[in-house]
Amino acid sequence: MARFRDKKKKGFVKPVVKKNLKNVDHITGDKVPKSFVFARGKLPAVLRQLQMDLRKLMLPFTALKLKEKKRNSLKDFLNVAGPMGVTHFMILSKTTTGPYLRVARTPQGPTLTFKVKDYTLAVDVARSQLRPRCPQDLFKNPPLIVLSGFGTGEQHLKLATIMFQNIFPSIDINTVKLSSCQRIVLLNYDKETKLIDFRHYSIRLEPVGVTRRLRKFVQNHQVPDLRNLQDVSDFVTKAGYGSESEGDEDAATVTLSNDMGRVNRASTKSAVKLQELGPRMTLHLIKIEEGLCTGGVIFSEHGDGDKKKPESKEGGTAGNAAGNEDDEGITGEGEESETDDYEDANGDDNEMSEDE
Amino acid sequence: MGEDSKVKESGKAQKRKRIGYSKGHKGAKKPKVLQGSGKKVKVDGRMKKLYRKRAREYNSDDDDDGNDNAFEDKAEEVSIKEKMNDERDADELDSENDEEKRHFVDDDEEEEGEIQSGVTKFVEGVRAFKLAFKKIMKRNISDDSLGPVLSGHQKLVAEKLAEEEADRKVKGEAKKEKQLVKEKGHLIPESFFDAHEKFLIGVARKGVVKLFNAVNKAQLAQKGLNPSRTKDAKELSKKRKESFFSELGRKPFSHSTSSKSGTEKDEDGPAWAPLRDNYMLTNSKLKNWDKQQHDAIAADNGRAVIESSDDDE
Repeated sequence: MARFRDKKKKGFVKPVVKKNLKNVDHITGDKVPKSFVFARGKLPAVLRQLQMDLRKLMLPFTALKLKEKKRNSLKDFLNVAGPMGVTHFMILSKTTTGPYLRVARTPQGPTLTFKVKDYTLAVDVARSQLRPRCPQDLFKNPPLIVLSGFGTGEQHLKLATIMFQNIFPSIDINTVKLSSCQRIVLLNYDKETKLIDFRHYSIRLEPVGVTRRLRKFVQNHQVPDLRNLQDVSDFVTKAGYGSESEGDEDAATVTLSNDMGRVNRASTKSAVKLQELGPRMTLHLIKIEEGLCTGGVIFSEHGDGDKKKPESKEGGTAGNAAGNEDDEGITGEGEESETDDYEDANGDDNEMSEDE
Repeated sequence: MGEDSKVKESGKAQKRKRIGYSKGHKGAKKPKVLQGSGKKVKVDGRMKKLYRKRAREYNSDDDDDGNDNAFEDKAEEVSIKEKMNDERDADELDSENDEEKRHFVDDDEEEEGEIQSGVTKFVEGVRAFKLAFKKIMKRNISDDSLGPVLSGHQKLVAEKLAEEEADRKVKGEAKKEKQLVKEKGHLIPESFFDAHEKFLIGVARKGVVKLFNAVNKAQLAQKGLNPSRTKDAKELSKKRKESFFSELGRKPFSHSTSSKSGTEKDEDGPAWAPLRDNYMLTNSKLKNWDKQQHDAIAADNGRAVIESSDDDE
């Protein structure tokens, strides 16, 4: 009797869901890039705040509450990164000359090392604004990225371009919902100063040609104050004072294909408005290494990168081979350690799909 | 004053005693001891010697004068009315009374010697204290902010305060410096908008507009078609590609995988493998990343990437 029952039960056993599926976009099969933002060495409070801001910026595919300990080595993070499907590391560190940001691909590099010339926290940015804006679902979708001025033909800039393009999930213009595009990260390379401006904005769409009053009325759904008006028509026809950015609006208008919220209907003109979210950073690319914080120096700001190229290449290939093994071979040993709070928001990214 | 004190044990006169003292130890001591032994049954010679020695030590300042000067001493003692001497007198009295075997009697203050010694001492001590106090009170002191008590240390205290201040200053500076190092590079935006920020926003906005318009075009084109039908699906995929690339003003790539968009001007090579999304994700070999120098840098997968072409601003 018992035997039969066993057999029956087996029929109902749920198939084990492969964990690996989470790392992959369910339509296209593309790998969703995920990231860790953490620090090496002790950071002062301001930089810890910057680290937190960067984590928020990298949401939703990042570990927002990643805990680090002093004794955690890079290898620990790497061990966790494998099973978690983490593809990028952003590593903050600090020396007496200033803070540094390293952006690395896991598990085998390359690593870009930036010197952070100056930075501004999200808090400071918000404080400088009259009305800081933060809708609830702002951080539920990955940001768009705009790279500007990187096409100078230099190799290291190409690499940086690739790196930053791949750090956020790709979107498909055929299926993407515009309502999921709420944030934008801008990287602007300045040829003269060789500095990269790193900015983070929120995107807001506003219908063109509608008075502020009407817009607010539709948005807020509140009974307007009509005491001073002679007629109801006055409410519609009376022109309010124009906004200060009225002039450049025509350059920044888009026609929407589908509705976006209550105000921005399909096939109406909308103005794109950006508001800064922070953090701000001014980065200076000083070094590119072939491995993950190791390996041959591909590029160095101080000019010794070219010399090392020949031998570093060999080392790099060897490292890559080893890295490939690692890619499959990493088992979840360190899984339980620091990344308990890994935020895997795969559920949210249904619209962020890409076919072909 | 020592010569004034007398040993009365055998009723001897002052002089004798004195002679005995001055005579040296060996010769004179024996008979004395014998005399003394008449009264006191058992006084150890050595003990006696010790007592005498002690007495002599107490009076050492006067002893060396010898018995010839005894009277002079006495006179002197009388004439000098120094307080300190008086004090010493009292001390002597006290110590002599402690020796029970003999009755020391002071010449000057015989009565006091007979009265209890503790009281005497107390009285004398009070007097000394009074004098000392008077002396202190008489002293002239310039009134200062630091007060009379600290007057002696005035300079010292001031010095210490100054030192402390300097110390604190140095410490504060060190702390400030440390804080500066910690916050190096931290920039707080002072103005709401400066020109550079405006420019950056403009760049970002341009990117967003480009992307949104492209999305709009692409999604409008496929509106009428049903993707579930195979015929339509084929049409759809074709149309998507065409419309998107025509919209961007370039022809589609022959490369099958590269259906991505590009907003690029200087493309001279069709292969842009390093710029592919899965370039490093899948094979992750960076062997030839710098070989493909002629690759166009382009935006991929619909992300609006504005390349260096924006020199207009």
